[in-house]
Amino acid sequence: MKRALLAGLAVVLVALALYPMQATGYGVRTMLQLFMWVALAQSWNLISGLTGYVSFGHVAFFGMGAYTAGILIGKLGWAWPAACLAGGVMAMVLALVIGWPCLRLKGPYFAIAMLGLNEVLRVIVSYYEGLTGGGNGLSLPTLHASVPIYYAMGLVALAVTALTYLIITSRFGLRLMTIREDEVAAEAMGIDAFRHKLYAFLLSAVGPGVVGGLAARDQGYIEPLSVFPLIMTITMIVMVLFGGKGTIWGPVLGAVVLFVFQELVWARFIYLHQLFFGAIIVAVVLLMPRGILGVLQQKYNLPRTI
Amino acid sequence: MNLVITPTMVGQVVISGLLAGSLYAMVALGLGLIFGVMRVLNVAHGPMLMLGAYTTFWLFHWLGLSPYLSLLVSMPALFVVGVVLQRLLVRRVVDAPELSSLLLTFGVSIALVNLTQLAFTSDLRSVEYLTGSFLLGPFAFSKSRVIACAFAILITAGAFWFLQKTRLGKALRAVSQSREVAQVCGIDVQRIHMLAFGVASALAAAGGSLVAVMVAIQPEMGQVYTFKSFLVIVLGGAGNYPGALLGGLLLGLVEQLSSLFLTTQVNEAVAYLLLVLVLLVRPTGLLKGRSS
Repeated sequence: MKRALLAGLAVVLVALALYPMQATGYGVRTMLQLFMWVALAQSWNLISGLTGYVSFGHVAFFGMGAYTAGILIGKLGWAWPAACLAGGVMAMVLALVIGWPCLRLKGPYFAIAMLGLNEVLRVIVSYYEGLTGGGNGLSLPTLHASVPIYYAMGLVALAVTALTYLIITSRFGLRLMTIREDEVAAEAMGIDAFRHKLYAFLLSAVGPGVVGGLAARDQGYIEPLSVFPLIMTITMIVMVLFGGKGTIWGPVLGAVVLFVFQELVWARFIYLHQLFFGAIIVAVVLLMPRGILGVLQQKYNLPRTI
Repeated sequence: MNLVITPTMVGQVVISGLLAGSLYAMVALGLGLIFGVMRVLNVAHGPMLMLGAYTTFWLFHWLGLSPYLSLLVSMPALFVVGVVLQRLLVRRVVDAPELSSLLLTFGVSIALVNLTQLAFTSDLRSVEYLTGSFLLGPFAFSKSRVIACAFAILITAGAFWFLQKTRLGKALRAVSQSREVAQVCGIDVQRIHMLAFGVASALAAAGGSLVAVMVAIQPEMGQVYTFKSFLVIVLGGAGNYPGALLGGLLLGLVEQLSSLFLTTQVNEAVAYLLLVLVLLVRPTGLLKGRSS
């Protein structure tokens, strides 16, 4: 069974690696976006799915990465791979600055602080026009091929998923889940809850940072509203929730299903699309809070490492 | 930016800050009530305010009703909306992890904003009612702000009187202190939850009716108040009702001072910085709040 799954995974990976040879430019860019969502959902899962601390503004790291890479490429002429990695590093720095005061607290503070962080970054980026272009946005030199970005994005999605696997199957991951279930008990057992939460948070910020840089490079133009939308955080969360939070494959499943649904169905209803999305959020929260994999896990007694 | 800052300007700014802060305090008190009683962070609080503002706008537009009289309509109407919302949806996530209630109310928030957009379009609307300023010595204050502040103080005082003196208000505070014990004492907790949500929405609606005279009315006007109310209840101490007042006034002051010394655009950033500092120094807020 396990061998068959691994073989299946290998086939999918090879197919995805060969895909750009066959595909149209549109196809490549669509898949690239799917990878982006997998990486984002998976990253959110690392902090919130595992520790239960709700990061309600995770897109802040995406925007941070986008602007870091945008400025490095556009103003300093860096090569995009280096600039995107720098975006990941800056996202981590931001996570450290904000996680240090806010992850010490139990209760709603962390969620509120993250929501605020996103709003505030947008305001700051709009304000410092000299560096960021302000509300006019920032244009990057044109890039003709999306294919390298496709591979880079795929690699990030794969890396974040592999990281999740490593964490969930490790003692570190067990400790994180203990914190989620009962933080007081976790501390009584000698787990330094604050440090574990902070590490998980830092790891969860890298992926969105790098992905933000790649998305900026791919789109060639960024502006405050396009890289700090609250709705993007919510989309990540709904993907994870739909697939199964705290699992390895849940975020991937959720991202694929919701992304396909979005491309095929919502795109046709421009006016009602947001309304639908609101309804879907309510439905997922009320009807299937454990997600698809969560339900399957419970029903068929599947292993935790799925 | 190169203006010389005189003591008069500081005085003016401090008073404007308190005027704005009294509104924030009233709106945030609603959010704080919902959190205190149910441990739910209501992301749809701002959209409730937006609905209040639209109520005032249409009453003014169709009937020429004074925005201040329309409080008598918007508050009861949104009270009902709040009760229904609690009864139908929020009730199901009261005991769930905070993620569920955050997402659920966010879904409601998107739905409310988009329904409003479909019904009334995204055009900016305004209520041209009270213009001009009161002059008091060297200070000048726009009439609409002073009157809004007076109403906010009145309504907030009313809410506190309700919480302190009436049986229902006492029951509500009892539930927010300990739901189990309140239940044992014979309090109908479900009813109190509905009541709290209704009162909170009415407070948001009052905020909406009062700001309708000052700012442009559009479907997305509420979000910024959600954010500000969150800031206020964390500053004051989540679940601490007098704390919400202190937090509201403080937020108003800080915003106005940062407009004077820096620039209006960074208001939110300065307020946020204040929040992070308060969390570092006094994690429970200025007055002691509760964790969930």
